[in-house]
Amino acid sequence: MPPAPAAWRVQIPPVFVAAKLKQIDHREIRITKMRKYVTPIIAAIFLVALAACTAGQPEPDTQKPAPIATATALPTRAAKPEIAPSLQGTPTTVAEAQSGEATMGGVFTRNWADPPTLDPHLVTDTTSAGVVVEIFSGLVSLNQDLEIVPELAESWSISGGGTVYEFTLRKDLKFSNGEPVTTEDFRWSLERAAHPDTESPVAEIYLGDILGINEIIKGRGDVTSAEGIEVIDERTLRLTIDGPKAYFLAKLTYPTAYVLDRENVESGGDTWTDNAAGTGPFFLEEYRIGQRMVLARNENYWGRKAYLDNVVMNLAGGVSMSMYENDEIDITGVGLADVNRVQDPSEELNKDLIRVPPQFSVSYIGFNVNEPPFDDRNFRRALNFAVDKETIAEHVYSGLVRPAYGIIPPGFPGFSEEIDGIHFNVETAKNMLAESKYADPETRPRITVTIPGTGGLPGRDVQVVKDMWSEHLGVEIEIQQVEWATYLQDLNRSRLQAWGGLGWEADYPDPQDFIDILFYSESPGNHGAYGNDDVDRLVEQARTEQDVIRRVQLYNEAEQLILDDAAWLPMWFDTEGLALIKPWVHNYAFTPIITPKLKNVYIQK
Amino acid sequence: MLTYGLRRLLWTPVLLLIISFFVFILGTYGPGDPVEVRLGNNYTPELAERLRDRLGLNDPFFVQYGRFLGNALRGDLGESLTFRGRDVITLIGPKLLTSAQLNIAGSIVAFGFGVPLGFYAAKRQGTWIDPTLVLGALVIFALPVFFTGPFAILIFAVGLDWVPVSGWGGLFDYRVILPALTTGLPGIAVFVRLMRASTLDVLGQEYIQTARSKGLRALVVNYRHVARNALLPIVTVLGFTIAGLFGGSLITELIFGIPGIGRLALESVFSRDYPVIMALTLLGATSLVIANLIIDIIYTVIDPRIRLQ
Repeated sequence: MPPAPAAWRVQIPPVFVAAKLKQIDHREIRITKMRKYVTPIIAAIFLVALAACTAGQPEPDTQKPAPIATATALPTRAAKPEIAPSLQGTPTTVAEAQSGEATMGGVFTRNWADPPTLDPHLVTDTTSAGVVVEIFSGLVSLNQDLEIVPELAESWSISGGGTVYEFTLRKDLKFSNGEPVTTEDFRWSLERAAHPDTESPVAEIYLGDILGINEIIKGRGDVTSAEGIEVIDERTLRLTIDGPKAYFLAKLTYPTAYVLDRENVESGGDTWTDNAAGTGPFFLEEYRIGQRMVLARNENYWGRKAYLDNVVMNLAGGVSMSMYENDEIDITGVGLADVNRVQDPSEELNKDLIRVPPQFSVSYIGFNVNEPPFDDRNFRRALNFAVDKETIAEHVYSGLVRPAYGIIPPGFPGFSEEIDGIHFNVETAKNMLAESKYADPETRPRITVTIPGTGGLPGRDVQVVKDMWSEHLGVEIEIQQVEWATYLQDLNRSRLQAWGGLGWEADYPDPQDFIDILFYSESPGNHGAYGNDDVDRLVEQARTEQDVIRRVQLYNEAEQLILDDAAWLPMWFDTEGLALIKPWVHNYAFTPIITPKLKNVYIQK
Repeated sequence: MLTYGLRRLLWTPVLLLIISFFVFILGTYGPGDPVEVRLGNNYTPELAERLRDRLGLNDPFFVQYGRFLGNALRGDLGESLTFRGRDVITLIGPKLLTSAQLNIAGSIVAFGFGVPLGFYAAKRQGTWIDPTLVLGALVIFALPVFFTGPFAILIFAVGLDWVPVSGWGGLFDYRVILPALTTGLPGIAVFVRLMRASTLDVLGQEYIQTARSKGLRALVVNYRHVARNALLPIVTVLGFTIAGLFGGSLITELIFGIPGIGRLALESVFSRDYPVIMALTLLGATSLVIANLIIDIIYTVIDPRIRLQ
């Protein structure tokens, strides 16, 4: 999923959220820890600086995986051949299961960042998606429990052995500008999303299953219609896909499949989104780049109208925590500088505290297996054995991270307790090193681990890993920090020998999103050029496997092979975060995946 | 002097041409690629190639540079690569004005506090007041904005609740107070030291002794003779603030949530948004040239012995 830059927030502008990588930096954690060593005054300077650095970013829940989720329970008449495994439990927190009647009116104010795009078909990141899902919508949507629910389609039927979906639209649907929504709009929108001129980076991922869509994407603009999209009548739309894929419906919840008003898009040019007509519960009333964004209730919304009159998003930054304390915003994430304070029950703010579910992500140190010494499996294994993650988690991060011994995060479909990666063992590490081609430090190639950023100091985890490698194995590395644009370019060209400061966040709840995308030998997301024929075979098999249990087994087998090969050094899984929300804000849901949520929020002072 | 000014101004385009050329070289041959920043990990070579084609990034260097120059001459600085469909001028215009207002407010604070304090310190030379003020100025100068900003917020906004934590309403809005103090604080220190030195200089002049011996009242001596003469070098320093007028104060802007140019400038560098980078570089160069020119002219006004050639 989109890379949500963790800290370094001053340095990494929101545009970088557009990448799928997640840039990780544990600087916040490091600073809390630092207080034990430095004098209180110096610490105070750091803390206020930190507060400033975290200003103006979306709240923690916006850093969660973007839409596309499959559901624990699919609605009636959902697909029979269920390929995608389901989420384990419902990881959603709702701010105060409300008491009393919801009231209309009121303004909800929060900090946000400039979205890289508001065009649903171009959305790849959470900053954009968080706004887009409130303004636009599609056939189906995710509710707060991450179940797929009817949105503009009131019902659908599946036939043809799970390959033909026939949707019936609700009656009298309208865009926010009052224009009617028809199946023709859906046909045009889906084809527009795929058209090369739209330049959507994700059309293939989310719509590629529909017959004919790939021809449009691969065409030079000359192909404009897909045979898999048929308009039966004004309210009936038929989509035909290339195989019985149960997760297809889930993909339709992603903004790439949202409906747009053709006239609105074509008359607006490149900046059509400034006056966008959507079908979501809100419409964009005002947007000033770097300043603020205002959403207003869409009176033409098909269902229950939103309670809020307006949602105001401040885009100009500011010290989020202080703004919250001064009632200037209604919600804020809690940086590590304030963690102890807000958890103190005698503190006023403690009453507003909410636990934010962890996102599905893993951070790691990557190895390029084409580059010596990482071309030697034993050497990579030795490096894995030499890192004591428990100690780092406990002493460096005060238990705030969960050590990763696998690739797939806990709670995520396909996660298995059985999977066991490499645990800390100095003896084995030394033996492995001795068996490798690079046992002799004299002839061992220089090792450089590259991390992104401009701040100077690398994350403490990379530093500790460096020390552990040096102490336990005598392997010395250099840490090189390069700025994000350069880092990305080198990463995409597999020019980095080893890299840190990165994580991977789920796009949609399917193990394919981790195992296939990151480790299949031909995958563009496999930056370390890892290749294992057995893994490739398992992954290929899993793609078309119809049996859910068997499919998960295939991914588990592949994951174990990858861990045994020590393709990466997996570091941490995400843990839950903290947020504050004002007592007068009701029904705000924190979800690990972005869903439309502001419609349900109401203010009662 | 008029011809001198004109000649200097005529050189400006040449200077800008040279600067733009070098910035363009850095952008074209430096590491990083705006297309990859935009695509991130959804990077596929085909799509990247398509985007580069459409944005004209595949053209040879001189074709790109020529196109930039041609458009710039027509007043078109191009479209942002990051914010699709936004032309650079409308994107940076309002942010520049915001930053300029913030800088003016900061300069007023710096000048308004610094000059009287410096003058006072000089007049009290030899007492404890003078070294205390000078030392205080040094301490203030050493305080970084990322300390003073949040500190001011904690005291005046969160603690005393006199002003809001963040927000911006322009130069005449009360929310400008804290940011202005924060940006102006280091300037106070500069002006205190400058004004003190220049006042001491003037105080030692013979015409001051003459004025005193004529029996003029202390007030008249202080303000008509000492302060006015001591201010002259300060005015030239003020000229430099013109050069920095449109520069963003990144950290102040971030801390107080001010929609100025600082953050956009930083982001445009990180995302390789060349049109925005070019526009800001050229603007910076232009204001520097003009500020220098103004300072030179002011010098001749202050001291006619300086001849412009």
